[in-house]
Amino acid sequence: MRQLLRDLLLFFERDLRIAATYRSPFILEAIEALFGAATFYYVARFVDSPALREALPQGETYFAYSLVGFVFFDYLNAALDTFDRSLQEARDTGTLEPLLVTQVTLPVMLIGSAFYPFAATTLRIAVYLGWAAVFFDFPLRTANWVAVGAVLLATLLAFSGLGVLSAAYLLLFKRGNPAKWFILGVSSIVSGMLFPVDILPRWLQLIAYLNPVTYALDAMRGTLLDGAGIFSIGRPLLILLAFGAVLLPVSVLVFSWVLGRTKVTGTLTHS
Amino acid sequence: MFSGSRHAINSSVPDSAIILDSLEKSFPPALGGWDAFLQPFRRPTSPALCGISLQAKQGEAVALLGANGAGKTTLLRILATLLIPTRGSALVAGSDTVRDPATVRRQIGYHAGSDLGFYSRLTGRQNLTFFGRLNHLSDLATARRIGELSERLGLQNSLDRQARTLSSGTVQRLSLLRALIHQPKVLLLDEPTRSLDALAAADFRRFLRTEILARQGTSLLFASHTMQEIEFLADRVAILDEGKLLAFDTPAALRGATSSATLEMAFARLTGRQLSQEEEHVG
Repeated sequence: MRQLLRDLLLFFERDLRIAATYRSPFILEAIEALFGAATFYYVARFVDSPALREALPQGETYFAYSLVGFVFFDYLNAALDTFDRSLQEARDTGTLEPLLVTQVTLPVMLIGSAFYPFAATTLRIAVYLGWAAVFFDFPLRTANWVAVGAVLLATLLAFSGLGVLSAAYLLLFKRGNPAKWFILGVSSIVSGMLFPVDILPRWLQLIAYLNPVTYALDAMRGTLLDGAGIFSIGRPLLILLAFGAVLLPVSVLVFSWVLGRTKVTGTLTHS
Repeated sequence: MFSGSRHAINSSVPDSAIILDSLEKSFPPALGGWDAFLQPFRRPTSPALCGISLQAKQGEAVALLGANGAGKTTLLRILATLLIPTRGSALVAGSDTVRDPATVRRQIGYHAGSDLGFYSRLTGRQNLTFFGRLNHLSDLATARRIGELSERLGLQNSLDRQARTLSSGTVQRLSLLRALIHQPKVLLLDEPTRSLDALAAADFRRFLRTEILARQGTSLLFASHTMQEIEFLADRVAILDEGKLLAFDTPAALRGATSSATLEMAFARLTGRQLSQEEEHVG
């Protein structure tokens, strides 16, 4: 177990060292986040009205509602995208083969390679929310940070399985990330990212209720904007964990099969 | 000498570094367009290796000699656990590459001959430290091995430069250092001097012979197109042609059996390929 943790952290250390050789992206991303937060603020000012506030679930401003939806999708994107991106990078840089003849297995390599992107996404979200709080009166003081952390962790566990499935798809078919396309595409409409699901037609609302992203977003807004505690978001947390409990083992099994298959077909390192 | 017959090999031979028993490998046919989606599920019908059986002893250097597409790289990749054979078995230091790949990976150092495979933004030392620790060496042991091997490979002045600034030859030597860092029992090299200039290649061969083979007793299996390299390093040569093992013997025995003056001529006669008259004459 100690060795496994050590192996996983090696990848984080590697990515941190690589990131440290690029100085400007962090500064540019931080500036971009300020512009992003400003855009949401002014769009919200333009569309905000008492009727809109009443339509929003917790009676929050549209600025807070849409910004949380946006940063949450950034996190979801990381969960869906990280595994296949790290695999693709290893393949394109020619490091995949040398990695595969070490003592570390490919699943450990993929999980280890996900640590830094998740940490970087968390930092980017923190910068976004920080700008929003400093310049645009985003209500950060009400947040229950322990519960926010629990929701993010449950989200990662729930959707990382889909990320691993995407990596398996990439190994097998060499291009594309259908899980990301499907989940982000569908969820941008039927999860409450930028508008409540109540305004959707009935049949789309049904899809929204089957979509775990809807529950994750509700829980995120509850903890971040209303200070909801872990117990009051128990139901969405359980739904997310159940989703992860089913999907993660299935995705690991599928990935293992695909890995074996590519060693049979000789396409493991092909792009 | 000739290895046409498929004899059963006793896998318990104690001093064998590598044992291949009736090893076969086929790949699914390459498909294009929409059919490419079916390729991962197609039956492997294009043969790359056909019933290869051979044994390499501990501390022995074996060269794989064959034209492009003869199966040399496929064989090395099976031994490196990157490919699963279709039939037959491959054992490295007593462990099966399919049943016990983790143990096999502990015993091997693999250098694919490419000058890619490093993180370009990291220095040579950072890259080597990362791979050393992935092979479960301690920080101290990794640093010590990098120090020892970099001196012998003439890499001291390159270690603290970013990999992207290094020449192909230097990256090749870094790659060899990486393959050796965990003191493997068996070293697998695929055209190891491909990107090296003549002097660097000669240095590299000397290092392999004096350090890796003579001093450390590491077994070596390498693919090469350079006859001079094979004559200099190999105790025995396996001649492959279209996936078949045509012969497996010492360079002198191969020359003798084919009444050839050079290994190149022996290779041409065994594979039925033509050498130019000039080459025949030089031979």
